[in-house]
Amino acid sequence: MSVAASTLPEISARRRVTDKVMRGTLVAGTLIALVPLVLILYFLIKRGVSAWTTSGFFTTDPTGSFFGNPGGIRSAILGSVVMVALASVIAIPIGIGVALYLTEYGRDGWFANLVRYFVDVMTGVPSIMFGLFIYIVLVKAHVGGSGFSAWKGSVALSLLMVPIVIRSAEVVLLLVPSSLREAALALGAPRWRVVARVVLPTAAPGLVTGSLLSVARGMGETAPLLFTATAAFALTFNLGALMNSLPVQIYTDIQSPRSEIIDRAWGAGLALVVIVLLLNVVARFIASRSRQA
Amino acid sequence: MNPPETTSSKAPPSGAADKTTKEQTDMSTAGDRSPERAQATRVAAKPGAGTGKAGHGVKLKDLNAYYGNQHAIKNVTIDFPANEVTALIGPSGSGKSTVVRCINRMHEEIPGARAEGRIMLDDLDVYGPNVDVTAVRRLIGMVFQKPNPFPTMSIFDNVAAGLRLTGTKSKDLRNLVEHSLQAVGLWDEVKDRLNQPGIGLSGGQQQRLCIARTVAIEPEVILMDEPASALDPISTLKIEELIDELKERYTIVIVTHNMQQAARVANSTVFMLEGEVIEHDATNKIFTNPSDERTERYVTGKFG
Amino acid sequence: MHETRHKFHENLRALEVQALDGLDIVIQQLDRALESISYQDVELAGMVVADDDRIDGRYLEVHQGILSLLARQAPVATDLRIVAALLHVIRCVERMGDQCVNIAKLVPLSGYEAPKDKDILDAIERMGRLARSQVSQAKQAFADRNTELAHDLLRQDAEINRLNREIFRRAVEVGDNLDMREWAMFMILVARCLERIGDNTVDIAEQTVFVVTGLFREFADASTPSEAARPL
Repeated sequence: MSVAASTLPEISARRRVTDKVMRGTLVAGTLIALVPLVLILYFLIKRGVSAWTTSGFFTTDPTGSFFGNPGGIRSAILGSVVMVALASVIAIPIGIGVALYLTEYGRDGWFANLVRYFVDVMTGVPSIMFGLFIYIVLVKAHVGGSGFSAWKGSVALSLLMVPIVIRSAEVVLLLVPSSLREAALALGAPRWRVVARVVLPTAAPGLVTGSLLSVARGMGETAPLLFTATAAFALTFNLGALMNSLPVQIYTDIQSPRSEIIDRAWGAGLALVVIVLLLNVVARFIASRSRQA
Repeated sequence: MNPPETTSSKAPPSGAADKTTKEQTDMSTAGDRSPERAQATRVAAKPGAGTGKAGHGVKLKDLNAYYGNQHAIKNVTIDFPANEVTALIGPSGSGKSTVVRCINRMHEEIPGARAEGRIMLDDLDVYGPNVDVTAVRRLIGMVFQKPNPFPTMSIFDNVAAGLRLTGTKSKDLRNLVEHSLQAVGLWDEVKDRLNQPGIGLSGGQQQRLCIARTVAIEPEVILMDEPASALDPISTLKIEELIDELKERYTIVIVTHNMQQAARVANSTVFMLEGEVIEHDATNKIFTNPSDERTERYVTGKFG
Repeated sequence: MHETRHKFHENLRALEVQALDGLDIVIQQLDRALESISYQDVELAGMVVADDDRIDGRYLEVHQGILSLLARQAPVATDLRIVAALLHVIRCVERMGDQCVNIAKLVPLSGYEAPKDKDILDAIERMGRLARSQVSQAKQAFADRNTELAHDLLRQDAEINRLNREIFRRAVEVGDNLDMREWAMFMILVARCLERIGDNTVDIAEQTVFVVTGLFREFADASTPSEAARPL
């Protein structure tokens, strides 16, 4: 019986040191990367919460007088919600439609690949370009009778959201097993019914998740709105008029000399982050529920 | 004095065996291409046989199929008799799945794939100029290798899916679903949970559910592409028994990698190699005395 | 190309060799049995009887091997026919062994120094040689899958049958000597054993044709007379 057979060799001291050093480096790197995020959250919460607690923060509009109570951010929140809602109504059906074309009909054709390429490009376009584009095409041209207006802001946002919806929807639709499509076709279903009754319902949770994420993105964009809906302060639901929004509100407030208004900007920032966070949480919740099913 | 007639006395085998050797001079139906005759020598038909509807046969004539430039099926001519099970066997790449997918025109769903030739379902040419593909598929159903019930639908909805997806109105959907589930032997197992998701069933049950789904649209032919290869042995045997019962009402074509399954289940067997039909005969003959050397080598496992 | 199912086909071949080698033992037994008849050698006869155990043992082994192959390997086509044929063949081997034992058992009974009829003895000897060659030919026909050799066996067997009938006739006409007549009766029995051995070789020939062609046809029996079976 050989002597060496009784025990396995131990880890060398050198290896243990290397292990520890590597682990330490990676942890340190992660922590460093997290620092800005933590700081942002810290400041946001610290200064935003104090703004939240001022009376009427969520119930009044920022129409306050120059010297008096500056008002709350109600019109900003509602304006964001309205404009993003309109943008979603435009972007999501179009986005899912294009994704359906790409996966079900175009597949690997030259046209489909061309579309995919352009969608990829669009996700990289800086959001300010969409704002500028709509500014020139819709605002300067006074389409619809007026210059700046809320619905044009929605259009700009939807341009931004569509590529995101297309990308995520395509991924989700491709995840639907082709065996399901085959089964439905083999039963004698026409292709559109296969899509409507089998593919879409199966992909639904993923599509919802992707859409919510695009909505979250839309909520936070400033530049497109600056050129289209600009800034307004009164509460309005008139899509043809100027409308307020959270990002624009923050942008305007931050430049003010009054400290209460700057605080209001922090409060608005926190509100925006909370909304985006909620949207993300809901999206993930839906995704995880569908995975369990 | 006359000597007694000497019987060339062979040491006789047991009496019964002696009789069979005398009656059955051919251990195989030598050269007999008609599987009807093989069926006639079978044990008496089950009770209720013959009360099913009239059968529908499928005939392939000079079928050629391509994937782009690749010539996958070469001048295949096969006659699938009505109300019988015909098995297609052969090594991987022999084209058996392609043949079957041409019959219900699923082959052309693959980009770049096309098929030429004639496929007759009774008098209807499936590849005729104005034929509606979806109508063909309602007459020729298909069961796939991996069970694929629709995950968003309940058991009931899965069985009814065929009707709903084709826009067919059914007067008594509940009855139809029940009959279909009974036909595949699932009714007793699922009758109390029809509203539960179809994917909650075991593999063997899921496959039977898919067969029920196919049966519910009342096709004339059922194609099966390796229906049991993803299942455990007991489920496999249950599916084989089911196939045996189903052939009373449908014409069945089954592709299988498992030769023993073809031997158990099929009335006649087609051996394919590299896109061509090598031999097509009664299953009994293929597995006791095949005519072609290549068939012999394949079934005895000398290649493949 | 390396054959798939290599092990299975090797096992099948080994089983076949085991069964056919039983025929060699049969030849040995036959030689000894006939010698013991010619020289009234009781000891030799006793050896034949004892050695039949070898054949019986071989029968059991081959039988078990076939069952195992059927259960585990699901043979089809030619393999299946070989397996079915081997069942027949090993049974024929066992029966031929039994016939040799029957012959050997007649030795002490046929009496010491009994008077013998030369013609009958000659005929027996000729039958014995024929039987021996038939067994040998049957083995070769099966091993080589040679259907012509198999059909030829029928021709030879016709000769054995003829000799059998001749011995019977001679025994009936053998004369008045009681001892001689008694001995002649025993020779009839010996002849019948040899004739049965011949029939078994024809069985093996039939199996050879079955393996090769897939068709099973009886060469000749009481109900299907062939040209070779001529009535007296």
